[in-house]
Amino acid sequence: MLRKIPKLISRSAPMIILVLTLAAVAGFAAVSHLVNRYNLNQQARGRKLYAQGITEIQAGRYDNAIAAFRAALSCDPTNSQYQLSLARALRDSNDPRRLDEAESYLLALWQRTPQDAAINLALARVAARRGTVEDATRYYHNAMYGVWPSEPDANRNRARVELIKFLLEKNARAQADSELIALAAALPEDPNSHLQAAQLFEQANDYSGALHQFREILRVDPVNSAALAGAGETAYRSGDYVLAQEYLRRAVTANPADANSRQLLASTDLVLRTNPFHSHISDVERNRRITAAFAQAEDRLDHCAQQADVDLKASDTPPSSPLVKLQALWLRTQPDLKLLRSPAETDLPDAIMDVVFQIEQQTNSICGPPQGLDLALLLISQKREAVTQ
Amino acid sequence: MSDLTPIANSSPSSSATVRVKTPRRLFSTIEGVFNEEVFFLILSVFIGIFSGLAVVCFRLAIDWTHLGLLGPLPQTHSWRLFAVPSLAGLFVAILVLHVFPGIRGSGVNQTKSALYIFNGYIPFRTAIGKFICSGIAIGSGQSLGPEDPSLQIGASIASALGRQLEISREKLRLMAPVGAAAGLAAAFNAPISAVLFVIEEVIGRWSAGILGSVVLSAVSSVVIVRSFLGSEPLFRIPVTSFKGPSELLAYAVLGIVGGLASVAFAQSVGYLRPRLKALPRWTQYFQPALAGLLVGLIGYLGFPQVMGAGYGSMDEAMHGQYAWKVLAILAVLKILATTLSFVSGTPGGMFAPTLFVGAMLGGAVGDIERILFPHLTGSTGTYALVGMGVLFAGFLRVPMTSVFMVLEVSGNYEIVVPVIVANTFSYLVSRSLQTVPIFDMLTRQDGLILPSLEEDREEAILRVEDAMLPVPATILSAQDYVDANFRRVQDSADSVFLVRLHPSGWNNATREQLQRLYQEGKGELTLASVLPGQSLPSLYPDLPLDSALRYVNDYALIPVVNRADSRRLEGIVTRDSVFKKYGSTSVVEVSGSI
Repeated sequence: MLRKIPKLISRSAPMIILVLTLAAVAGFAAVSHLVNRYNLNQQARGRKLYAQGITEIQAGRYDNAIAAFRAALSCDPTNSQYQLSLARALRDSNDPRRLDEAESYLLALWQRTPQDAAINLALARVAARRGTVEDATRYYHNAMYGVWPSEPDANRNRARVELIKFLLEKNARAQADSELIALAAALPEDPNSHLQAAQLFEQANDYSGALHQFREILRVDPVNSAALAGAGETAYRSGDYVLAQEYLRRAVTANPADANSRQLLASTDLVLRTNPFHSHISDVERNRRITAAFAQAEDRLDHCAQQADVDLKASDTPPSSPLVKLQALWLRTQPDLKLLRSPAETDLPDAIMDVVFQIEQQTNSICGPPQGLDLALLLISQKREAVTQ
Repeated sequence: MSDLTPIANSSPSSSATVRVKTPRRLFSTIEGVFNEEVFFLILSVFIGIFSGLAVVCFRLAIDWTHLGLLGPLPQTHSWRLFAVPSLAGLFVAILVLHVFPGIRGSGVNQTKSALYIFNGYIPFRTAIGKFICSGIAIGSGQSLGPEDPSLQIGASIASALGRQLEISREKLRLMAPVGAAAGLAAAFNAPISAVLFVIEEVIGRWSAGILGSVVLSAVSSVVIVRSFLGSEPLFRIPVTSFKGPSELLAYAVLGIVGGLASVAFAQSVGYLRPRLKALPRWTQYFQPALAGLLVGLIGYLGFPQVMGAGYGSMDEAMHGQYAWKVLAILAVLKILATTLSFVSGTPGGMFAPTLFVGAMLGGAVGDIERILFPHLTGSTGTYALVGMGVLFAGFLRVPMTSVFMVLEVSGNYEIVVPVIVANTFSYLVSRSLQTVPIFDMLTRQDGLILPSLEEDREEAILRVEDAMLPVPATILSAQDYVDANFRRVQDSADSVFLVRLHPSGWNNATREQLQRLYQEGKGELTLASVLPGQSLPSLYPDLPLDSALRYVNDYALIPVVNRADSRRLEGIVTRDSVFKKYGSTSVVEVSGSI
């Protein structure tokens, strides 16, 4: 098959080596040309498949996207963008078995460019999916301090917000608090950023932090309805009903369609109107409020008993039933109402209201959240408890 | 038709007169600048370069064929999946039967035959045929791999180059394994495994003489391939770990299961291949097509992973993409598909399918073990990786290569212990259930018997110490006078005596010789002055007994001396003691076989 090389050249070893070297160089050049053409062809095909994968991702068809990204990667195996997209698709496909492969791609990319923020963020999300707080925190921090090709500050804040949400989800409160402090310090003068931060503070039950963020927005935009509503709700949750009333009134004025603020405002008004421990009311008014609350507690008890199908008057009802015990307590306390006007009975208002609070709290756990005046009494009880503690 | 027959047919004459012309004293003109050994080493580098370039083209050809015929995104339930391999199979069969006879099968046996039977002769058309037919077959989805064809392409290029340069017959014979190592290293991107495989399977014995050339060619071909296709491994290696010795039991179980699967795989190939070859010649046009149809149907029915070499699927399996049931099904289907493709005579290799079956089986066994024993920490990927080595050790029966292959491919030495344990179990199970390794079985089916490293390992070697007699009671000294020595031998029953020379060395003296010297009046001369001055050759106890054979006819007593002190006599061997040892061994072997 292979014909002999014509004997035009000397058959000395150096000459043979020279000829072989020239043949190798020629072969190398030819194969280089072939491989270049092949690579260009493959890269073009890869781009097409990658675009197809992006379309599939946008349509939420992760399996198709993964197949397309895989094919794109087979055309251009070293393309970092394809690897990153495939890893993201694998991670987001909601199949836990694919997390390993996603992580493998990302770790390979990470080894090449450990400072790349996008890769670190993707790895952080994989760790977050796995629920490993330590790894996720490490990669999120890498992402925050890594290199972003554009909008570095915004991207860093976004990464931190994601980390805080993850930490709150995992009940890692201490770490979340420290991240929140860092977030608050680096926020831009942008209402949306403050609003998002305030919501995170709220999720972390840091109402003063949340209120601070809402006030930052109101400082720039005093009629920002979302900030007013948020501030009102935060004050309401923290039990500062006077402040809540102020913000919620402004929120309802700024946005009359805000039903939540309107409802909270109603509750706030009720709390302020019925709270017997308010410092600026007369003794007569206090006694009136206590009497009304005591009567409301009885109503609540009756309604709850009906709801729970418990007949409080029947003789066969077990005395150990919580509702029966509450009724007995209410009945024992009822005569004390007459002694409210006596100046000697200084502890009596508290004692009567303790009975009211017990009824409201236990019926809340037995029959579900109350409405109207019962809700107001429950909120007062909670605030009272917080103050006592 | 035998896979090996066309080589003989292609050869212009018998093995003794194959196309190796009398060397025309190429190297006589070089006069010391390049001796043949140095030239052969340099040539090995060029073989590596050319083989590497050929393998790069081969891989591109497979990819192009695959893209052209099956498209970049093969979908299940597409008619292409069974139509393409069927039609390609028919086309390949026509080419094999009419244009490129001798390219059936993997190519490993053909290369070995070239080394041992055909004086290193492999026709260059084999490389072309293998390139075209294997490229079409693998690219169209036949369940075969590109490694073994690459090996044969490399060997064929090396053989052609050797013939062109008219190197000596001895060196030409070695060209095939040198090229084979280059081809395999380029295909696998793993030079150490390629070198070991060529030594274990192609050369069949450890030979230091060729090792340098094999290593040079393998390394240079890998350099070439990496310069074009990058140094990325064939599949991404998952994060692997080995936590504690208790997990070795789990890997031992994997080794046993892998050994059983290897036997099933090898038995199915060994059973079907001769039966299909025995069918009328016209059926051979349709056998690859039928195999392609069946493999395509497997893909059509939902398992396209079994088509082609399957490196992408191995990658997915190693990253936990399949549940254990799917992994187990894929392992079984791949054995079936590869058996069909291979026994039909379609040119292509068994390496990639072996790795595929191993990865799937390893992943499945690992998953099942972790379900049963949740404390096991090895990931699916770790088991899949170990599983690859397990099938390599059990099916191809190359224990050394199997261990190094996993280490080289993974670059992770943490799993070396699990790999060794699992491979050992697999190898032992496979060897105990099937005595003849797959490549030897295929060779014997073709009517050839080639040396096997596995058989060599089992062969008991006789050594000098086995035939050694105790140190004789009478040892003469060359420094003593003849009459003194003569007096010493008079009481001895022996007729030949060992003489210690000064300062070192040994000689023989007979009773008659001493008596004659004494009668000639030379009694007052030293024995050294009257004996021939040349010392006897000495033997060492650990030398093969064969080395004594060349002396036993010339010398009555041959000294066996200590390697640390050549003056210290350990014993002697005689013609009778050597022949008696060979005779007793033959009697034992014959009676054992009876």
